[in-house]
Amino acid sequence: MPEEPGAASPAEAPRRRRIGRGWRLAIGVAILGALAVLVSPLIGPVPIPPVVVLRILFGVADPCAGYLSHAYSCVAAPTIVLEVRVPEILLGLIAGAALGISGAGLQGVFRNPLADPFLLGISSGATLGASIVLVFQVGIQEADLFLPLFAFLGAAGTGLVVVLLARNRYGSVETLLLGGVAIAAFLSAADWLVLLYNPELGLQVDLWLLGGLGSASWSVDAIALSLVMVFGTLLALYGPELNLIQLGNDVAQSAGVATTRVRVTVILLASVVTATSVAFTGIIGFVGLVAPHVIRRTVGTDYRVVLAGSAITGAAFLLAARDVSILAFPTSELPIGIFTAFAGVPFFLYLLYRQSRVVTMGSGA
Amino acid sequence: MNSDPALRLEGLTVNYGRRPALRGVDLRVERGEMMALAGPNGSGKTTLIRAVLGLLPVDAGMIEILGAPLASLPVRERARRIAWVPQEEAARDNVRLADYVEYGRYAHRDAWSGELDGDRRAVERALASSGLTERAGDGILTLSGGERQRATLARALAQAAPILLLDEPTSHLDIGHQLDFLGRVRDLARAGEVTVIAAMHDLNLAARFTDRVVVLSRGRRVADGPPGEILSEELLLRVWGVVAERRIEPKTGVPYLIPQRLVAAPAPGAALAGWGPVHVVGGAGAATPILRLLADEGARLTVGTLNLLDSDAQTAEQLGIPSAIEAPFAPLGPEARQRNAILLGAARAIVVAAFPVGPSNLPNLDDVAPYVGRVPVFLAAEPPIAARDWTGGRAAEAWESLRAAGATVFRTPVELMAGLRKSAGAPGVEDRPQGADVH
Repeated sequence: MPEEPGAASPAEAPRRRRIGRGWRLAIGVAILGALAVLVSPLIGPVPIPPVVVLRILFGVADPCAGYLSHAYSCVAAPTIVLEVRVPEILLGLIAGAALGISGAGLQGVFRNPLADPFLLGISSGATLGASIVLVFQVGIQEADLFLPLFAFLGAAGTGLVVVLLARNRYGSVETLLLGGVAIAAFLSAADWLVLLYNPELGLQVDLWLLGGLGSASWSVDAIALSLVMVFGTLLALYGPELNLIQLGNDVAQSAGVATTRVRVTVILLASVVTATSVAFTGIIGFVGLVAPHVIRRTVGTDYRVVLAGSAITGAAFLLAARDVSILAFPTSELPIGIFTAFAGVPFFLYLLYRQSRVVTMGSGA
Repeated sequence: MNSDPALRLEGLTVNYGRRPALRGVDLRVERGEMMALAGPNGSGKTTLIRAVLGLLPVDAGMIEILGAPLASLPVRERARRIAWVPQEEAARDNVRLADYVEYGRYAHRDAWSGELDGDRRAVERALASSGLTERAGDGILTLSGGERQRATLARALAQAAPILLLDEPTSHLDIGHQLDFLGRVRDLARAGEVTVIAAMHDLNLAARFTDRVVVLSRGRRVADGPPGEILSEELLLRVWGVVAERRIEPKTGVPYLIPQRLVAAPAPGAALAGWGPVHVVGGAGAATPILRLLADEGARLTVGTLNLLDSDAQTAEQLGIPSAIEAPFAPLGPEARQRNAILLGAARAIVVAAFPVGPSNLPNLDDVAPYVGRVPVFLAAEPPIAARDWTGGRAAEAWESLRAAGATVFRTPVELMAGLRKSAGAPGVEDRPQGADVH
């Protein structure tokens, strides 16, 4: 384009990014998150004095000398901290980040603030996978391995089916969403059928579903981390595409976004990332719904920030939920999924109320 | 590639299911043109724009952009060639304006490159061209309606595509913002930065701001040329079903049209519902029963040339039928005849009633002659011409020559209706006047 003489030196756009309420909130969330990471190792169902925990973490020889009276506790303490607590905390961070980022990705691709990682039946798919292991005794001897594997396959497979629906080039996003919800209903019915004929497995499946960090170990963490790192990072690169998709599919396409391909890829990546989380921690609700909203309402709506920010927020939220649940119910080990729901549902309702006032301007073509 | 036109369409056909939206449209738009795409609702304007953007499957024909077939271009490359300003963009998030405009740079980078220098310059220029530099730091939801539309323009300009497609860009704006918006777009076109194709409802704005108007009607290109040449009363009547008065703005020489009324709205279920216009030539009350009958059957009607105070003229007035009118008792003058010619030219059928012919209204018969053979002409034979010829045989001669040229003679209203129904084919939805929502 020829240079326009009049516009040679346009005035520098005034930057009006004052530190507003939103940023203060964001900084608050970040501080809370950092605090949760620091405090978490000190908290656990087995009471160990914080000083001892710190000494263990810093590798001080004979960590409990003079702090613990019973020699028995002193032997167990390093194992509890290093083989249980730290892997649990890591798994919590990984799962929280996975749920946060895939929630953000799905909300973006569906242009729907109510989308969450389990919306498209991924949870029902995982349940079906887990039920198959339990019912048909598939590799039940190595259940620690097969349960997550089948749950992963069930979850990711569901995502794949939804993606096949999403391939229609001129199909609307609403159709896709409805298709996904229908698949969820179908799988959920299948779950119920399996449980109806195997009632004795009901509690087992339920407990697994409710979610927790109990299965954490260094090897579990390594698997989860590598999957979430690879696919989560790929997902985090879709910010520019999702920004344009928010303006409508047609606008996005006219600006150069291959909308169908983006839709398929984002759903697939979100499914794999969510499936990883589900496989090792069960279904932890509301993290994926809440985290993107916290970012959008505080830092901003630019998806380049929302995706990464939701991962961080999700990780912090899940970890905080773990800490609070242990502090509140030290003896019962309440499943973390219950706790995130207790914290998440009021927030969800608050959003619903806010949304009914904001979204009426319509979603465009 | 520089000699290739900006846009070339060949036989472009798009169907929605079984309903055709575009039927074999040919179009060639040169670089640097500012073209308006006009036509009634449902004429195919938006379909054409969406097809050119690659948002719709094309059933037949070809779209070529800067010399390359659209189908062969990846989405990103399309975006580097064509940018789009939709009618209204649904923005939900309060994105900072500068960021929003920067989204338009998408096609110029890949996943790994961040904001480049060229991007920042393009964004600043786009904001400047849209007059929004001052508001770069504000959220887009805080912009006024006029600013919002300019923000969309800025986003499209940041795309730095040589072709700009606008879909009714000013339909939500007040007059001042309409002029401002189109003025900015025209300036860009004049500066050689973009080729503009804009779907526009407002013909007067189109005439004022564009070099060329292409009119679509029922999926076909029916007129194409400089606004001064093609925007005529006849075109409005034919395509929009609207009677309008055309004037020329004395300062600029730009035509402008003052819409006056819609030609009789269709009566659903009637035999000729919406079909027409049918032009009735009458006088002295001879046309009145025909006008009432055809109006009842739902035909769109025009009538001419009548003297004011003539009872046919009063019927036309009552029924709201557009007419060519001469002063009372005066011979038919050139102005009235010219108006009659416009109505005749727009007609899909002509009915010559059995009116008494004197020297003053003899031109009414002569003026019909050029249209025999081009459209169906129906000639009333009852009472016979001899009984109402007050010109000493000249009227009978003119009447006879119309018949000899192929006009259909009818004796009763039933015969006339049968003939018209045949000419109309099976009048259906497709033949409703498309301008019915102008009012």
